[in-house]
Amino acid sequence: MVSNSSGQMAGARFVDPKILARIGNLELLARNVVDGFINGLHRAPFFGASVDFAEHRGYVAGDDIRRVDWKLYARTDRYYIKQYEADTNTNFTILFDISKSMTFASNGVSKLDYGSYLAACLAYLAHRQRDRVGIITFDEDIVAHVPPSAKHFNMVLHTLDQAKPERPGHLSAPLNKMAEHFKRRGILLLISDFYDDPDAVLDAIKPLRFLGNDLIVFHVLDPQEINFDFNEASTFQDLESGEQIPVVPQSFRAEYRRLIQEHIARLRAKFSEQRIDYMLCNTSEPLDKALSSYLSSRQKLARVK
Amino acid sequence: MAFLSPFLLLGLGAIAVPVLVHLIQRERKRVIEFPSLMFVQKIPYQSVRRRRVRHWALLLMRAAALALIVAAFARPFFPASAAAAMAATGGSREVVILLDQSASMGYGDRWQRAKAEASRVIDSIGGTDKATLVLFSRNAEENLRATSDRGRLQAALGAASLTASGTRFGPSLKLAESILTRSNLPRKEAILISDFQKTGWSGSEDVHFPEGMTLTPVSVATETVANLAVPSVQFARSSFSSQERITITAGVANKGSDAVTNVPVTLEIDGRVIETLPVTVGANASASVAFSPFTLSEPSVHGVVKAGSDAMPADNSFDFVVTPSQSVSILVVDSGSTDSSFYLTKALAIGNTPTFNVEVVPAGRVTPQMLEKRAAVILNDTALPAALAGGALKRYIEGGGGLLVAVGERTTWPQNDADLLPGQLGAVVDRMDGRGATIGFRDYSHPVFEVFKAPRSGDFSAARVMRYRAVQPVPEARVLARYDDGGIAVAERRVGAGRVIVLTTSLDDSWNDLELKPVYLPLVHQLVRYVSQYEQSSAWATVGQVVDLATLLKSKTDRVVITPSGERRTIGANEPSILELTEHGAYQVRAAATPSARADQIAVNIDPAESDLTPIDTGELVAAATGRASQAPSTTTAAAEITPEDAEKRQNLWWYLLLAGLALLVAELVVANRLSEKERFT
Repeated sequence: MVSNSSGQMAGARFVDPKILARIGNLELLARNVVDGFINGLHRAPFFGASVDFAEHRGYVAGDDIRRVDWKLYARTDRYYIKQYEADTNTNFTILFDISKSMTFASNGVSKLDYGSYLAACLAYLAHRQRDRVGIITFDEDIVAHVPPSAKHFNMVLHTLDQAKPERPGHLSAPLNKMAEHFKRRGILLLISDFYDDPDAVLDAIKPLRFLGNDLIVFHVLDPQEINFDFNEASTFQDLESGEQIPVVPQSFRAEYRRLIQEHIARLRAKFSEQRIDYMLCNTSEPLDKALSSYLSSRQKLARVK
Repeated sequence: MAFLSPFLLLGLGAIAVPVLVHLIQRERKRVIEFPSLMFVQKIPYQSVRRRRVRHWALLLMRAAALALIVAAFARPFFPASAAAAMAATGGSREVVILLDQSASMGYGDRWQRAKAEASRVIDSIGGTDKATLVLFSRNAEENLRATSDRGRLQAALGAASLTASGTRFGPSLKLAESILTRSNLPRKEAILISDFQKTGWSGSEDVHFPEGMTLTPVSVATETVANLAVPSVQFARSSFSSQERITITAGVANKGSDAVTNVPVTLEIDGRVIETLPVTVGANASASVAFSPFTLSEPSVHGVVKAGSDAMPADNSFDFVVTPSQSVSILVVDSGSTDSSFYLTKALAIGNTPTFNVEVVPAGRVTPQMLEKRAAVILNDTALPAALAGGALKRYIEGGGGLLVAVGERTTWPQNDADLLPGQLGAVVDRMDGRGATIGFRDYSHPVFEVFKAPRSGDFSAARVMRYRAVQPVPEARVLARYDDGGIAVAERRVGAGRVIVLTTSLDDSWNDLELKPVYLPLVHQLVRYVSQYEQSSAWATVGQVVDLATLLKSKTDRVVITPSGERRTIGANEPSILELTEHGAYQVRAAATPSARADQIAVNIDPAESDLTPIDTGELVAAATGRASQAPSTTTAAAEITPEDAEKRQNLWWYLLLAGLALLVAELVVANRLSEKERFT
């Protein structure tokens, strides 16, 4: 891969959201992005040696006796060693906010699409390194739940594909439900636009964190949500509540920017206090930042282990 | 209210445009779906109030402006008020304002009052009326063509000024009649603003206003007038120690109803006061003032007689020009017999306008040098002298000299000089049988016989002509008189600048008894004056006269004329040298080539009739002009019907509506701009 003129890293063209939007197949998309990304990286990711049953073989001296299949010994009276395929080291669960506010798109790629690409890419990445992938989509409640499994990659993609924003979103209720759900700790990837008070957001997330999960938060925002570059006086309608307010953007812009930046800064501060990785994703920017952010977290996790 | 073009009211639908624009603006204001208004709600919002208040105010203004403009295009009018106005006035008027600007209008404040009256008439002109301003004195002039433009009429009126001319109502009324006849407006009015001098209306003017035309007299005359005038002066010439002395007698007329006493009457010569005498004149009477004689040394001396001062100063002074009298030099050539020129010389010795300086020379002693400085040569019953034959006489005549040939027994004419005479001399016609011939036909249009035109002005029938010479006239000859048998008695021929007249009978008693008749003297004087081109210079002219400057300055050069008001005019040598005298005072005329030479002067006085301010009964004038004893009330026939076009044109409402609409649009623009400036970033 060659570097393009904008100085993005090689392979970045595979992660430009606008190009990705033209690829209908999420798996193909994810493979393109991740392979391209990894090839460009020239560095192997972390292939953990997981043990998932593959076949039996005869016991030879020196084998760990804990791997002897005693049930088979009982039936055959021979020592067989259970051989396992490489297995995930951890559960990788995507918590994807599919509330109506995620449908906003000012440059052709909605936050939901962007989040889907992100989720697909990361799921693929995780799948490739034998992590178990699962997904939970939610708005004000849990919409779909795919438990983490090494075989659930396609289901994850399917779930992402089928995600339809229909209701307003709310973090605390679904996240509390999820907290009850997670028995085994793993990596949780939360994708949302976090239109809520930062304190409330943190209150909702904390239970997940208490389980010892590693939490990576992707805050997906459209550039217009950040810059508020509207020109005409218009009526603004809340995508979730339907409320309408006439707005003269010129007079609102400065104040709005101040408020959103303040919100982002507070979220960042709150998450960092809780040692949660926070990543702000602009839907006009390529996915590589998000991917590298994930990989660095994952590396961190490996080291900890 | 009705509309001339009601279909244009469909344009009122345009009012919906601002409403639609407003609504579309509202609709168009797209709804932007935004993920969350969480932050927007935190920002104070103020624009709802602005939109509503501003839009309603501007919307109303725009709608009103559009409605006014559409209504203006539909040409509205009030049928009722139009009919009422029409009923009141009887329709559109064609008005002719006749404004007297004669010299008599200068009496007191008559001119100002007359102009004020005219101004009032102009102000009463309606939108569809038309008015013509006619300024008149002796003649009438259409100052401004029929127009409805009151501003132009007022400007023309403002520019009008008094003249020094006399008053004649005839031409002005005829002009008014022709203007009104041309008009196709229903009401035709002539308004005559004047002081109605009696002298301006002779009663024989051929003015007949047809039915439907009215004449409204507006008199600015005053009841009592006091006016002193100098209508004329007389000169008495006498010789004193070889110098000519002139005694001037001025007539002073009091046209007022009060006697005036000891009014100073002053004689000024060349701007210098010579004498002042007091005069007392009774009411409506005249007196004369005789000044002391004074010596006249220079030609063309300008004098003024002034009498007192009153409300009309124009006729208080009388200008004149006096010139020392000059005799006319005549050379009489006869056969040398003692009595052939007896009657002729006796006749020429009589009279002083002019005096004839006669030298009688026998034909045999005549030399060409004798022709020098002669005004005329009379060949009295003699052959053409040999000294004059062969070109000398011809050159003299072509240079402006005169020749009178009285034909008799001894008259012969050489063929070489035949082109001098108006015809070839033929045989002697003998009318001895019977009572002889008489001069039957006389051309009164010719200056020679003009004075005999009036009845009892010369009896030619008493004179008997026994013999005369027949004449075969050449084409360029003009026959001035014929005998009763058709033979030519007097014939004229122009030769170069000179004049030649042939009398086919004698001026002595050999062939006729003319010299024994009273008509002989004036006839001889007329013939000699004519061939010698004598012009009596009048001491003054009257305003309105036309003079030929060629009689003043014989030489063909550029002439400079300075009018009494100081205006300088140059009349080229090749231009017609006709000058109309329009001002009261002395005109100065001189050759442009000799600016230092003494100028000829022409004294001009106002018409003496202008001093008579007695007014005519305006009713009489109106009756004479219109043929009706009193003015019929305005015609009512036209009041019945009025077309919507006329009604709309009279009211002109569209103009005001359009202005109001445009004003409203401008106001809307200003308000909108101001509001938008003010509220743009609120």
